[in-house]
Amino acid sequence: MARVTRRALLKGAAALGAAAAVAQVPDIARAQTTGKRELVWAQGGDISKFDPHFSTSANDIRISFNLYDNLVSRHPDQKLYPGLATEWKLEGQTTWRFKLRQGVKWHNGDPFTSADAKWSLERTYDPSVKARVNTVFTTIDRIEAPDATTLVIHTKKPDPLLPQRLAFYGGQIVPMKYVQKVGNDEFNSKPVGTGPIKFVSWTKDDKIVMDANKDYWGGKPDFDRMIVRAVPEMAPRVAALLKGEVDIITQLPPDQGERVNGHPSTRVAGALYAGLYVLAVNSKVKPLDNPLVKQALALAIDRDAIVKELWRGRGIVPSGPIAKGDNHFDASLPPLAYNPKEARERLRKAGYKNEEVVIETTSGYMANDKPMAEAIQGMWRDVGINAKVEIVEYSVRAQKNRDKSFKGCWWSDPTSTLGDPDGMMWRLLGPGGPQDYWRHAEWDELGNAARFSVDEKFRGEAYKKMTRIVLEHFPWIPVIQPYEDYGLQKYVDWTPNPNQQFEIRRFAFKFKRA
Amino acid sequence: MASSIPASAPAEVAPAAAALPTTRRRTRRLVIAGGLFVVALTAMAVTAPWIAPRDPERQSLRARLKAPGWEAPDGRAHVLGTDHLGRDILSRVIYGARVSLIVGFAAVVVGGLVGATLGIMAGFRGGFVDTVVMTLADAQLAFPFILLAIGIIAVLGPSFPTLIVVVGLSGWVGYARILRSQVLVLRSREFIDAIHALGGSVGRIVIRHLLPNVASSLIVIATLELARAIVLEATLSFLGLGIQPPTPSWGGMIHEGREYLDSAWWISTFPGLVLMATSLVVSRTGDWLRDLLDPTLRGE
Amino acid sequence: MSALFTFLGTRFVRALVALWLVSTVVFVVMRLSGDPVPLLLPPDAPRAEIFRVRAELGLDRPILVQYGVFLGNVLAGDFGRSIHFREPAMRVVASYLPATVELGLAAFALAALVALPIGVVSAVKRNSLLDHMAMSLALVGQAAPTFFLGILFILLISLKAGLVPTSGRGTWMHLVLPALTLGAFAMASIARLTRSAVLEALGMDYVRTARAKGLAEIWVVAKHTLRNAALPIVTITGLQFGTLLGGAVVTETVFAWPGIGRLAIQSIYNRDYPVVQAAVFLSAVMFIILNFVIDVIYGVLDPRVRAR
Repeated sequence: MARVTRRALLKGAAALGAAAAVAQVPDIARAQTTGKRELVWAQGGDISKFDPHFSTSANDIRISFNLYDNLVSRHPDQKLYPGLATEWKLEGQTTWRFKLRQGVKWHNGDPFTSADAKWSLERTYDPSVKARVNTVFTTIDRIEAPDATTLVIHTKKPDPLLPQRLAFYGGQIVPMKYVQKVGNDEFNSKPVGTGPIKFVSWTKDDKIVMDANKDYWGGKPDFDRMIVRAVPEMAPRVAALLKGEVDIITQLPPDQGERVNGHPSTRVAGALYAGLYVLAVNSKVKPLDNPLVKQALALAIDRDAIVKELWRGRGIVPSGPIAKGDNHFDASLPPLAYNPKEARERLRKAGYKNEEVVIETTSGYMANDKPMAEAIQGMWRDVGINAKVEIVEYSVRAQKNRDKSFKGCWWSDPTSTLGDPDGMMWRLLGPGGPQDYWRHAEWDELGNAARFSVDEKFRGEAYKKMTRIVLEHFPWIPVIQPYEDYGLQKYVDWTPNPNQQFEIRRFAFKFKRA
Repeated sequence: MASSIPASAPAEVAPAAAALPTTRRRTRRLVIAGGLFVVALTAMAVTAPWIAPRDPERQSLRARLKAPGWEAPDGRAHVLGTDHLGRDILSRVIYGARVSLIVGFAAVVVGGLVGATLGIMAGFRGGFVDTVVMTLADAQLAFPFILLAIGIIAVLGPSFPTLIVVVGLSGWVGYARILRSQVLVLRSREFIDAIHALGGSVGRIVIRHLLPNVASSLIVIATLELARAIVLEATLSFLGLGIQPPTPSWGGMIHEGREYLDSAWWISTFPGLVLMATSLVVSRTGDWLRDLLDPTLRGE
Repeated sequence: MSALFTFLGTRFVRALVALWLVSTVVFVVMRLSGDPVPLLLPPDAPRAEIFRVRAELGLDRPILVQYGVFLGNVLAGDFGRSIHFREPAMRVVASYLPATVELGLAAFALAALVALPIGVVSAVKRNSLLDHMAMSLALVGQAAPTFFLGILFILLISLKAGLVPTSGRGTWMHLVLPALTLGAFAMASIARLTRSAVLEALGMDYVRTARAKGLAEIWVVAKHTLRNAALPIVTITGLQFGTLLGGAVVTETVFAWPGIGRLAIQSIYNRDYPVVQAAVFLSAVMFIILNFVIDVIYGVLDPRVRAR
């Protein structure tokens, strides 16, 4: 029997070590490419629904925009492209004619027709359905489906933004026959769509498993299977990315960017948010009923410091209530000013008597919500405002939103659903809107006229005037237009969408192959 | 005890050897040291405005996430660094003692008063009252406390008094059980019946004969509860139910810093160390106190 | 024997009353905590719609009537339908239960496995360096907030050392960190308790006799002390079970573990009354049954307990 010498063992060990070292080298090279057929990504919370007409939350639409198709598709470049409709045109003032894609099949094999599209859109505002998106298509008067591939939509008044509305939430097309057969609850637990991913399973608060739709009309996505994990805490989410357990993570805080970019196999990808982070104001309570006080509040915020320090430069200072990238964004307007001296002066003029100004903030619902609230509290105190921060739980915020019972200021992150002020400031601040705490006759009149005008020049003028009024009365105090950052493995080639859609179709997502 | 569920504080049996004279002397010294630590901590909390180097709520975004020892533009160093809003960690740790100690002590008082009253009542009255109190204790222990806390705070809104009541009420069972069993032991002795027969009042019995007997157990539970309450405040902060900002509390600071454990470890590490040290010293002092005071050990 | 039955009967009635108390408290607290309807409807739903949904959920009836209906249904084992998930509340809770049971058992097994030997060794080698270190570590385990420990473990054990996955549920490897985090407190308590129980037993006459007879130390400990120490340890086990569930709320959030702790807290935030009621009820039942069983074991084993 050959004696294994100690020396031989050591040699063997050395050889093994060398082999391991050799294996290490391609590992690093491989970090840039992959053979993976499975896409795994993690977001900050589980979805609540698969039924796209019953939820508008960011966690849910990341899935639903991929499970279903819209008639019109908004790509990461923010332009409109054909979706289930291949072309559309406006006939006269109020009639839109859509040509639908042929040969599209639902995940259960049924053919997609104009009847599905008509029924689906009507479902959103059918009062008996009680959909969450019931106000999206209020401009629609009636819908016709003259043949299987044509859809005609009549609006009550001219609606220049109908294609934009069809591209966002509420516009996901659901299968009529299937939903009618199995009912809403069953549809919600076993969803069927036309999109690039097919439902496989959902383990609540753990993971969603989806298969690639091999027959997708836009081409099979670049994976066989997609797994979405819900990881609520930020630290474990980032750790999962750095350790290579997941390919993409959402909601990457700016302070983590350095770590992710500094790691050999991961990087940060971001998109300038199609929307703003604003402090919405209850202009009915004292002292916020006084425009001078609100002007002082706006002037006292050092937005540069917030953007540069708190956000590590991942954002821009807004110039008004219209987000950069939207229609009618006025590039000539300067960023909102920081002038503590002037703020004190306006407070004096307003006769401010140290009344309490409350900021109600959630903690971790919006990126940097609590730190920004505390920072602004400090800035306001510096100019002599008696500012107070109260942390409210998200459900409490929802309740206050419903009862319109906010005590002063609160965080809002209005998304520009249409790429147009109509889908942002008018949707939220307009009469009867969710943030209707302030009325101004001229502003209301302009907003209404702009909504129903097909004359873009007129609309542009109207939004300019409305911006000026907002910057005098501040029903919103805009704070930042941030980047929404994601952490990616370097082998992932993916373009984030500015409006919180999580696009995994072929044009936006690919694995880099060796 | 009719129930097997003991005091919520782990009812450890004191090491018999603690009664040896040399060990006793050492234990006494340890207890004194622990007591001094608590006194020092309290002094720190009371004198915070004078000894804290900076305003704990004063922020400077341009000086955020600076490492310990970083020198601010005003030439003064941040000894323990700054947090994510550029606030001085040292000052916040010093001020944070206020919230933690107030919550801790108040919780001990609330839990102690409620628990002692119920325990004494149950012990003296026996029968129905006893059953009611013990059933209440069962229910309380069976209720996942955190969920109850979230519910109560959701109803009342997060505030300092709510926090104290919630944390305090979570700990009454321990006191109640100990006092009840002590009363039962006491009642079984004949002299109580004699006092009773001679017209002595219950109140008198409680003050003259019961309290001296249970004082040591009470103190031990109180110290353990104090430590528990301080940690609990931190946990409630994690769930967003703690002290409202910008008031510093150790628990809140640990919570805020958890996202920076990798990049700015000092934010939660320093309050974490102080919290652990406090909790450790206080509960250890409780142990030593028991070794020292436990009447069953004195005779040995 | 009749004494035993009386004892068991009393305990059983008390358990039932405690359950009723728990259900009542959770009912009252949830009703006071707010209205689930705003979270169900679009933010701009008309008032009439709100009232309709409230009526549909039975929230428009007087609170006492709602309470009566609730108790009746609970007796029939019906906790109503989840407002959020739109399916029977008990079914929702049951679907989350296995993950928590798995985590809880693992945490407990780990705690006992580590803590018992440490406690025994600490007691036998009392006041040695080992004893001091173990007991200090135990105190740290009791003093560190759960969420802090959890994140620390993820960074050190998972990310830096690369030993186990960071979060999520799957293989047994996924179980290690959450079980360690959740079990830390129990581990510390059991270690300290075991140490003092063994110490006490070591001081008893017959053990001293056994030692005097020259029996090996390890044999003395095993044979005489552990049996005596077992009772308090079993007791603390029952108690710790209750704190485990509370700790699960935090642990499950940190480790993205799909258990009922996380479900319960989210359901509180969603004002999903039926799910909260079902979850709390279920955990209370488990706690009470466990402690009832422990009581019975006590009662059977130790006649003194019954007598008192």
